[in-house]
Amino acid sequence: MEIKLAGEFTVQKTPEEVYGFLVDPKRFCPLLPDFESMEVVDPKNFLVKLSVGISHIRGTAAVKMTLVDEEKPRQAAYEGKGEVPGGSATIRARFQLEELPGGQTKVKWSGQSSVLGRVISLAGGLLEPLGKKNVQKLIDGLQQALA
Amino acid sequence: MARKSNRMSKKKPARAAAHSSSTNGTKTAAAKWVGQPIRRKEESRLVRGRGIFVDDEKMPGMLHIRFIRSSYAHAQISRVDVSKAEKFPGVVCTLTGAEIKKQVQPFIEIGPGGAQKIADYPMAVDKVVFQGEPVAAVVAETRLAAEDAGELVEVDYEPLPAVVSAEDALKDESLLHPAMGTNRNWHGVFEYGDVEKAFKQAAHVVHIGRLHFHRFSSTPLECNVIMANWDPRSGDIEYHCNNTFPSFASQFLAPALGVRIDQIHMKSFDIGGGFGIKITSYPYMAVCALASRKAGGRGVKWVETRIEHMQASAHGNERVFLDTRVALDQNGVILAIDSKHVDDCGGFPRYEPLGCVIWAQVLPATYRLKNIRIDMHQVVTNKCPVGPNRGYSRMQHLWFMERVIDICGQALGIPADAMRVRNYIRKNEMPYKTPNGCVYDSGDYASMLEAAKRLIGWDGWKKKQAAARSERRWVGLGIGSTLDSGTNNFGQARIINPDAPFSGQSKVGIVKLDIYGEVVVSMGSVPQGQGHETAAAQVVADALGITPDLVNVRPGFDTAHNAYTGHTGTYASQFAVTGLTAIHGAAMKLRKELSRLAAWKLEAKEKDLEFGIGAQGPEVRAKGTQKAINYWALANLVNVNNAGMPKSLWDITLNCRHVFHANFEIPDVQRKYGNLTLTYAAQIHAAVVEVDRETFQPKILAYACVDDCGKAVNPRIVEGQVHGASAHGIGAALLENCAYDSDGNLLTATFSDYTPITAMNMPELLYAHMESPSPFTLNGAKGMGEGGAAPVHTICAALQDALYPSGVIIDDSHNTGDSLFHALRKAESGGYAAMVRVEHRTASR
Repeated sequence: MEIKLAGEFTVQKTPEEVYGFLVDPKRFCPLLPDFESMEVVDPKNFLVKLSVGISHIRGTAAVKMTLVDEEKPRQAAYEGKGEVPGGSATIRARFQLEELPGGQTKVKWSGQSSVLGRVISLAGGLLEPLGKKNVQKLIDGLQQALA
Repeated sequence: MARKSNRMSKKKPARAAAHSSSTNGTKTAAAKWVGQPIRRKEESRLVRGRGIFVDDEKMPGMLHIRFIRSSYAHAQISRVDVSKAEKFPGVVCTLTGAEIKKQVQPFIEIGPGGAQKIADYPMAVDKVVFQGEPVAAVVAETRLAAEDAGELVEVDYEPLPAVVSAEDALKDESLLHPAMGTNRNWHGVFEYGDVEKAFKQAAHVVHIGRLHFHRFSSTPLECNVIMANWDPRSGDIEYHCNNTFPSFASQFLAPALGVRIDQIHMKSFDIGGGFGIKITSYPYMAVCALASRKAGGRGVKWVETRIEHMQASAHGNERVFLDTRVALDQNGVILAIDSKHVDDCGGFPRYEPLGCVIWAQVLPATYRLKNIRIDMHQVVTNKCPVGPNRGYSRMQHLWFMERVIDICGQALGIPADAMRVRNYIRKNEMPYKTPNGCVYDSGDYASMLEAAKRLIGWDGWKKKQAAARSERRWVGLGIGSTLDSGTNNFGQARIINPDAPFSGQSKVGIVKLDIYGEVVVSMGSVPQGQGHETAAAQVVADALGITPDLVNVRPGFDTAHNAYTGHTGTYASQFAVTGLTAIHGAAMKLRKELSRLAAWKLEAKEKDLEFGIGAQGPEVRAKGTQKAINYWALANLVNVNNAGMPKSLWDITLNCRHVFHANFEIPDVQRKYGNLTLTYAAQIHAAVVEVDRETFQPKILAYACVDDCGKAVNPRIVEGQVHGASAHGIGAALLENCAYDSDGNLLTATFSDYTPITAMNMPELLYAHMESPSPFTLNGAKGMGEGGAAPVHTICAALQDALYPSGVIIDDSHNTGDSLFHALRKAESGGYAAMVRVEHRTASR
């Protein structure tokens, strides 16, 4: 099951400031929904643990995140791959930054997530709205952090 | 749920008159038990919860295994780490694909050429090709420990593009088995008659676009269960399992595990349904044995969960039918068919590509078709491997033929019943040789259709349909004609692979008189609820002049009984022919031995003896005298009290084994020609279906089925089998679907989504039985029970009839409210215009 989402928002920060935030996993990763902990492997690779699930049925997902594409201060992209209870997931997130007058930056974002495994059979109908909700939480958190 | 039955036979169904009294007060049994609807012997223990299933059994020191399975449909395995799992309390050992690769050979492949390069190991080694494929296993003292420790196994994958449709597989853009060089694991053209000449002479040519037979499975109450013990002392492997074709499994397991076939001992007890899909459980059997060996020879048990079963046991074959051309004369008689068929066998072929020829057992279906060309392909896809699911391979082709009949009938304005009658093989043409050399033994399809129409009230429903249509209701009537070919000739495998080292068909039966005179039967079958014990007892009772309750039939299968050949198993609708003929042969040998013994002891001639039941049970007596000897005394003479027995009788063992051989030749491989199977049971179904105009949900308003399986050994069992097969088919037509998304995720891996049919959504079945005895078998019986998926054909025909005025062509075997909604939208936008195209060269009558 593949979930694709995209959008944009504007923040009162310069592209350099936004870019610096996005490529710093210590600041970016805690914004991920249900974040538990993070372990930095090297500047581009880190392991994130998330508490995922629905209602009281929860488990820990270990996601390997990699900063795959960076072009200071125009864009940054992450790829993640991990095991979730009852399946596997891949995540791709891309941020494109556009400088606006008045020290503002327009952040165009796109996210793509593929979920595989029996979790689809057990909860496939719930995953898409849950995924959308979680991505919106991430973006809301990002906007707040950059505000 | 209810059913009404109606036997067309004029014979009395009662069990009375099985015996007549003789002058000395004992009973003489005539050949009366075969054909009687006696209750099943098995029912007593099964309904009281006293059946013995594999999971009821334990081995001393038994361990439990859990499989860790791939979430991905197609991916490289970059790392498997079992170290944390191995430290978990209670874990005895683990297994990985890489470890197994060092210990076993890949399973043999049936297909020729590139298919021989497929490396099918019991667990994935360096890549996975379907979701749910096992990549590791944990063996622990308890099932819970194995489950928990399994969560600690870490596997890294590099995803690859998933191939989920047959057409995409043919593009070879992403290869499942790179060594094969293609995803197409078999291809062959089946051509008979003069197809092009027939098209030139046709009054009408109908072109049909893509038709799709969906993927569904069986849902036996009992999933796969295996208990294995690899004895380190003898090197023998003992299996208690519910595999239903043990000879086939052994022939795959022995070379893979590096043991002799006689080192593999298999035993089954009661089995909670199988329907063919348990035949391919042998990869799991291999892992369980390897786990037992690694654990020092302790027994290892695996009980498959329902999700595992749905995701990674076996599904039925999916098939697409492309670019079909049908030539017809001016009366709607089909002159020729030309079509391309692509079968999808999932991640590994395993029992395949046998399905690429099995369908040809019913090449013309129930019709007189002489000219046919089928361009047959089979591909691998990133889905669960298939197994020979009930109606295996023939049902897909029969559905195609029924769709052709209905689509052509609609296109030419010929009613469905008339279209069939014009094309059916006639009763007076039986035995009928098909264009590819098969011989239909007997049958009267037109009379069966009339019976089905009478049963359902066809003419009355036609009037109701007209009235319903005036109220804008979508009501349709449909007919499904199907064949259940039984007792297959394994020589057809040569058409697939000329080097295949098997042919013919055989089964073993053993009937013995035990030391205290009990009649004991060992069957060479693996019953899964078909009532084999009862039918066997009926046959033996008739052979020995006794009653079925005096015949002790051993439940299940056990290699220790030596009642097997390389064909042994329960599959392909054949027990009534192969198994019972073997048992009958053994019973007649025993009768002969008893005669010789009794003649000596009673000082009578064999021709003056009769068999029956006396005051002390079964006996042999000299006619017209008071002299008799019972079975206990006869058994005693041979086994315990044999001093003084003349040497001429020393060959008597009272332990008689008979092997049934079907009279088959090896087919002509070049022409793809030969007799592929021995008997042809038939079913004609009729249904009335309404599609709700608000919800688009189809609902069965009436349903009738007429069955002809030749002489019914036990009509009660036959009716039950027809009922079960009908339920399976109705479920497949309207509910059950192994649906995959584009990533190869199985979306219907639980019963909540797969929605198997239950008593709640079964319609009332109207049932009738006709008998056209087979001229080729003992008693005229034919194999039956698979049912040929008749309801799938029938319901599609009825839906077609209901929605054809709205422009819908039913092009899929699975139809739900949702799919019919989309079909109607497609029809509104003219989406079916290109699907069916008709060339009229002369006017039809």
